[in-house]
Amino acid sequence: MQAKVLETPKKMKERLRVPRIRATSVRAPEMKKNTAIKGTRSDRIFDAVNLVVWIVLLFIILYPLYLIVISSVSDPTAIHAGKVLFLPVDFSLMGYEAVFAQKEIWNSYLNSIFYTVVGSGISVAITLAAAYALTRKFIGKSVVNFIFIFTMFFNGGLIPTFLTMRDMHLYNTRTIMIIINCVSVWNLMIARTYISSTVPNELYEAAVIDGSNHFRYFFKMVLPLSGTIIAVLCVYYGVSRWNDYFTALVYIRNRALLPLQTILREVLATLTTSTTTDSFFDAYEGNVQGMVDAIRKAEVAKYCCIVISTGPAVVLYVFMQKYFVKGVMIGSLKG
Amino acid sequence: MTDTSRYSSRSLRRVGLRLHNDWQLYVLLIPALVMIIIFSYVPMYGVQIVFRDYKAAFGITGSKWVGLKNFTDFLQGPYFARRLSNTFLLNLYGLAIGFPIPVVMAILLNQMNKPRFKKLTQTAIYVPHFISTVVMAGILYLFFSPTNGIVNYLIETLGGKSIYFMIEPGWFRTLFIGSDIWQHAGWNTILYIAVLTGIDPELYEAATIDGATKSRRIWHIDIPHLIPVATMMLILSCGSLLGSNTDKALLMQTSGNLPTSDIIGVYVYTQGLVKGTQFSFTAAIGLFMNVISFVMVISVNWISRKLGETSLF
Repeated sequence: MQAKVLETPKKMKERLRVPRIRATSVRAPEMKKNTAIKGTRSDRIFDAVNLVVWIVLLFIILYPLYLIVISSVSDPTAIHAGKVLFLPVDFSLMGYEAVFAQKEIWNSYLNSIFYTVVGSGISVAITLAAAYALTRKFIGKSVVNFIFIFTMFFNGGLIPTFLTMRDMHLYNTRTIMIIINCVSVWNLMIARTYISSTVPNELYEAAVIDGSNHFRYFFKMVLPLSGTIIAVLCVYYGVSRWNDYFTALVYIRNRALLPLQTILREVLATLTTSTTTDSFFDAYEGNVQGMVDAIRKAEVAKYCCIVISTGPAVVLYVFMQKYFVKGVMIGSLKG
Repeated sequence: MTDTSRYSSRSLRRVGLRLHNDWQLYVLLIPALVMIIIFSYVPMYGVQIVFRDYKAAFGITGSKWVGLKNFTDFLQGPYFARRLSNTFLLNLYGLAIGFPIPVVMAILLNQMNKPRFKKLTQTAIYVPHFISTVVMAGILYLFFSPTNGIVNYLIETLGGKSIYFMIEPGWFRTLFIGSDIWQHAGWNTILYIAVLTGIDPELYEAATIDGATKSRRIWHIDIPHLIPVATMMLILSCGSLLGSNTDKALLMQTSGNLPTSDIIGVYVYTQGLVKGTQFSFTAAIGLFMNVISFVMVISVNWISRKLGETSLF
């Protein structure tokens, strides 16, 4: 170690660099004696192990998803026999046909789109406006901050909230599906951090001198510069609305107003196939074989349901992810 | 812009750096405040029903006062200990196993030296997060089904005996926590990756020159940088140790796995809303859990500050 200290940094860097270049091409045995190689070799082992770990992890993460997709286009008998492992077997769209024949699923799909689009639109607008206001100084800011933050740690609970909503005549309406939990304080904080760290303060100073007011500054300056955080908020709010089944379970009684996830619950998250089969394929032929077919068809239909319900969220994410990951990082770092 | 350069920002601040109409800020805040008040604070006012015997005919403020009866009923109920420990253990195991995994994943991902593979991995590990709870539970029912689930198919192929996962009490926590980690561990790396990418590269260069291997660099550079953020996340998680994963547990609960899946959140939902009669009683349970969670966050935060580590507030 003492000898190393005497070396000039430049020399040392070169000494360290040479074996690394060699490492990819030839493994020179005489190089092994060098101490620097020991460092890089342990690094190479680390990299190799790391790569293997990630390949395994990726398999664990992606294989179940892949399996669902190939199962959804396979023949029910093949799935039942455990033949569908890596490729679709006896390609068929039977499951999708069965799902799309269900009026209730279609209707709930449209409901979900409506709740998600309108609900997230309102949420994003309200959140951005408040987030901007919280980046400025004004009288009573600490009180307002407290009002928001406190709700992150304490809330009334399910039952009092339910009774309050019922007293407000919001029970069993479309309105509640759109505006309940409209503002997420967590998202508000992310948006606030993002705006205060990316929109330069000089811009604000310039606007002050030019005699701009807050509305104009917000709409003409802050919004155009906040594309990334708008994308992040859209995905956050959109996905949480799209995926929510519990709100409808609590607040909606009228089946025509139910969103997709709540209907899916009846299809997917049940122990027995028979109830599902009854509600979904009540027109099986009456003979035993017909019933078995119907049950198996219902099994494939489950895979199809997963694909058609998860598809939009995943596609939205994949398209947005470029902006998205960067925006989340900037927003969450300080928050 | 030429105007700005004439004034230094300090002199502007002295004059009082304000747009001349701060009332507009309040206008921008009002929608969010109204929403928060309606959906968070008005229900808090409704919490008073825990001290009353709520009857729909008399409303929240008109029902009869009964003092602490609802709480004593709950604490003396036959399954109180089981529900409390189920709730606590489910969250504790979930936190103990689920918390370190994203930290390790973030460190490993950050060390990845193949940029394209790294990018692909980063995109892929976030995907399961976008699956809904209903679909997640559905996947569990499908894959772990005793008749045609792939897991039991593999077990049988390897000579084992098929297991009825969804009704065995012993499997409930494993499936619940395992699927949670599968879904969210990748997503939860975002924060840690953000911290790691923010580390000054000169630190790594200096360490490399001093002969530090990758594992050394992780130990002496990455981990110290991650500790403050990880502590903060841990404090936040402590609030949810008695929190309810009602939506997922409700989906995964079957009559078979009740001994471990009977948790407080689901009990509140089924007793309060499905049966629709015991509003005061279930609201009292909800409040009880909320207060404990609140106290836990505050005390963990206090301890963390005393130890000289990070604190939330």
